[in-house]
Amino acid sequence: MVWSSIALAVSLVGFAAVIPAAWIAARTRWLSWLPGTTLACSLLFGTFVGIVLISSTRPLRLDLGVAPFQFGIEIDPLASFFLILICAVSLPVILYAAAYLPRHYSPVQTQWIWGLTSLFLLSMALVVVASTGFAFLVGWELMTLLSAALILVDGTSKERLHNLFIYLLMMHVGAGVVAASFFAFLPASGGLHFSALRASGALLTPGARSVIFLLAFVGFGTKAGIIPLHLWLPKAHPIAPTPVSALMSGLMLKTAVYGFVRFTFDFLGGGPAWAGYVVLLAGAVSGVLGVLYAIGEHDLKRLLAYHSVENIGIIYMGLGAALIFLENDAPAWAAVAVVAALFHTLNHALFKSLLFLGAGAIADATHTLDIDELGGLVKRLPITGIAFLIGCASIVGLPPLNGFVSELLIFQSFLAGSTLAALPAQVILPLMAGVLALIGGLAAACFAKVYGVAFLGRARTAAAESAQEVPPMMLSGMGLLAASCIGLGVFPRLALDTLFSVAQTLVPGSSPPTEIAGLQRILVATTVAVLGIGLLTMAARVRRRVTAPWACGLPGLTTRMQYTSASFSKPIRAVFAAVYKADRKLDVLPANRPYFPSSISYRSVRTTSFERSLYRPMTNVVVTLATGMRRLQTGNIQVYLLYIFLTLVALLAMLGVQE
Amino acid sequence: MRSLIPLVQALVIVFGAPLLRGVVSKLKARLQGRQGASVWRPYADLGKLFRKEDLVPPLASPLFWMAPRIVFAATAAAVLLIPVFQPAAVFGSPGDFVLLVGLLALARFFLVLGAMDGGGAFGGMGGSREALVSALAEAPFLLGITAVAIMARSTQLAGIVTWTLGQNFFDISAVHILAFSALAMVAVAETGRVPVDNPTTHLELTMIHEAMVLEHSGPSLAFLEWANSIKLGLLLSLLIGLFFPWGMAAGFSLPVLALAAGAYAAKMAALALVLAAVESSVAKMRMYAVPDFLGIASATGALAVVFTAFGGR
Repeated sequence: MVWSSIALAVSLVGFAAVIPAAWIAARTRWLSWLPGTTLACSLLFGTFVGIVLISSTRPLRLDLGVAPFQFGIEIDPLASFFLILICAVSLPVILYAAAYLPRHYSPVQTQWIWGLTSLFLLSMALVVVASTGFAFLVGWELMTLLSAALILVDGTSKERLHNLFIYLLMMHVGAGVVAASFFAFLPASGGLHFSALRASGALLTPGARSVIFLLAFVGFGTKAGIIPLHLWLPKAHPIAPTPVSALMSGLMLKTAVYGFVRFTFDFLGGGPAWAGYVVLLAGAVSGVLGVLYAIGEHDLKRLLAYHSVENIGIIYMGLGAALIFLENDAPAWAAVAVVAALFHTLNHALFKSLLFLGAGAIADATHTLDIDELGGLVKRLPITGIAFLIGCASIVGLPPLNGFVSELLIFQSFLAGSTLAALPAQVILPLMAGVLALIGGLAAACFAKVYGVAFLGRARTAAAESAQEVPPMMLSGMGLLAASCIGLGVFPRLALDTLFSVAQTLVPGSSPPTEIAGLQRILVATTVAVLGIGLLTMAARVRRRVTAPWACGLPGLTTRMQYTSASFSKPIRAVFAAVYKADRKLDVLPANRPYFPSSISYRSVRTTSFERSLYRPMTNVVVTLATGMRRLQTGNIQVYLLYIFLTLVALLAMLGVQE
Repeated sequence: MRSLIPLVQALVIVFGAPLLRGVVSKLKARLQGRQGASVWRPYADLGKLFRKEDLVPPLASPLFWMAPRIVFAATAAAVLLIPVFQPAAVFGSPGDFVLLVGLLALARFFLVLGAMDGGGAFGGMGGSREALVSALAEAPFLLGITAVAIMARSTQLAGIVTWTLGQNFFDISAVHILAFSALAMVAVAETGRVPVDNPTTHLELTMIHEAMVLEHSGPSLAFLEWANSIKLGLLLSLLIGLFFPWGMAAGFSLPVLALAAGAYAAKMAALALVLAAVESSVAKMRMYAVPDFLGIASATGALAVVFTAFGGR
């Protein structure tokens, strides 16, 4: 306990020290390594704190200030897990950033990014260790503002500001709902300290319980990017500096998962009876639509942002299953589902950071993120290519990588739904196995497209042809993440055993099922089998001769004849056309000779159906109201005097009524 | 000796798969009134390809020749999870059928990547179509196995087979009929047989699987063709194990094992005959009719799962 407190203090000082370090580094050339190193050290200490406390039965507590501004922290196993997640996964990102930032930003911008990134990480850490509503909301708000500031460092074009505005708007609506869910506890708890909230959880009326659950679901769902609250996500994530995109997608979304788990499992102890079905369905919709939207994208960072929506959906499906098990008195399986969801949270942090860093490396080497302008990169960026391939295989959920293990656990918990007594659970949970399989199949199609178009085949542009491998520091950041994807995929018990002890604090009365022990054995055995057969077949000496690919016997095969991302995804987009709702415009000139045109222009704009059917009516109402209110502001002083007079009369009248 | 039997049954699928393909071709030829090539023909083809050289497009990466070998390795490793002569496999644990689906997905992922590395037009075309077919086939595949797993109260393939062995064949349930039809449709789609894909087509524009392997030659092509045969053998063995396991060896005495092997061969021959009959009598579907076909498979699989909640009979 003493050691962890000291480590926590050191880590805190380290986070703060990054700001002067960044200031020094911007002015002294030979000290440019200082901010990155300082930040990495404080992250190491933070990870240490988490590792010490995750298996400890006595959480680390610290309370400062007085109500209502009580500022406290409490690091219990759940908080420790998320603290490890934030600190450990951001380490390779920081390593990468140390080489990436000076290549892309001026010293002053680099200084700002270092300082803000440090505070951004600190605010995320604060969110997961906070033990009072006040501390939590301060961290929650800082997280939004600091990430917005980081986006601003990268540029202030009109389009960016528009996207940033949407981001800030939705985050604040979300933060308001989160705050409301805290305040909804007040009548029962009398305070916002987490221990008070936990104690009052069992005393709530069913109505209050449902209200708190719904507020938490919507509030945290906005941050997590659950469809249809995901609108900001593909707009805000791609425009941040690449390491920050990795942190936002890999880690910031996870704080929302943390908040939701804290509220529903810890405070409420399970939520209302229908809660599980709502979460499960929302997760399924997010998963399927997220991956479908991703398939339509050809900007790499936007595509990855949509995959975050998909993966958050998978995590929510696991949490929904856990709530259903909890409701039906099956704590053992509830624990498995929670473990699966938390493990997928960790895995998504790893592979999504890896993929964003890979996207940054591609942009570094070719100055574009449009995969249709790439091609053949794996020959020029071999190490980035291998790391990115591992990331793709993980996110798709292929064995023997970490994404597969967490999806397998979610599958198993869905199947266990058939053993429950309630009929809806018996039917819906096993059916979700099919939905999860559909998501997996579509994700495989999407990443086959990404990797095939960007890294394989022939280079489509000169920039892709002359690409150079990125420096070793950036490669080592990606390498670390790729290695953890493989490590946790083959030896999942490294994480699973600890996660079960975390789940036991959330789901009372659960014991880890015996089936998990066999999981690692079969994973190791299969990996050995695939590797053995694969190496055996590759070891055989084969004569190779270079010849041109088949072009129906015609000469002049150009790189433009390769499939692009649009042509690759066309069959899937045609099958799921109802989801996309593309606006197509075809102009053939002159119009009276359609078969012999002199010019053809084709334009296709895709708006997600939610933008049109849900958000546009909402903004229209707000704008109409605002225009109506504008009539009050005439600029005429007599009218304002009238308003003051009317207010006075109204107040006097109210007083009179009260007397 | 006893621990060797699972290994032997895996080897039977791996090395017997080309024969299965030869038998299907032969039956197809006879049904169409032709003499047809020998049933051993696929072995001769593989031998010929293995002796040839690999042709590689000028700008392809090493992944181009590695992909076929990874496809083969993943498919062959998946065989280790299948019970054949007895209700046990080399590897098994609760949830192993998800691993089976995962390994097949791994093979397919690299098949598509290998196709796209050729740098021609057809690799991407085949890859794109395969991505669609497999994305839609994944759900009915898992739903079908889920349904029987729920009936058997076991998530291990060997456990499901053991449970089915204990049932009476004439006591057949609606769940099994639905799950079998879902999985049979998936098997057709996954292995690229008529009516989803035509393995003997020579027109590039109608190809799915053939377009993906168009650039590969020599040993690489041999590994891809062999892996495809293994996949057919694997999926048919899975259907036999899940739905018609009767005759599998319960003990380890020689007569029992011989009977099991004979029963397996007979069931496999029957399935090959059905496959040949379907391929000879049904035309290949339009590309955009395949999603409807797999949609029906998904609906059937979902119905199978729903029926498990109502007792399954």
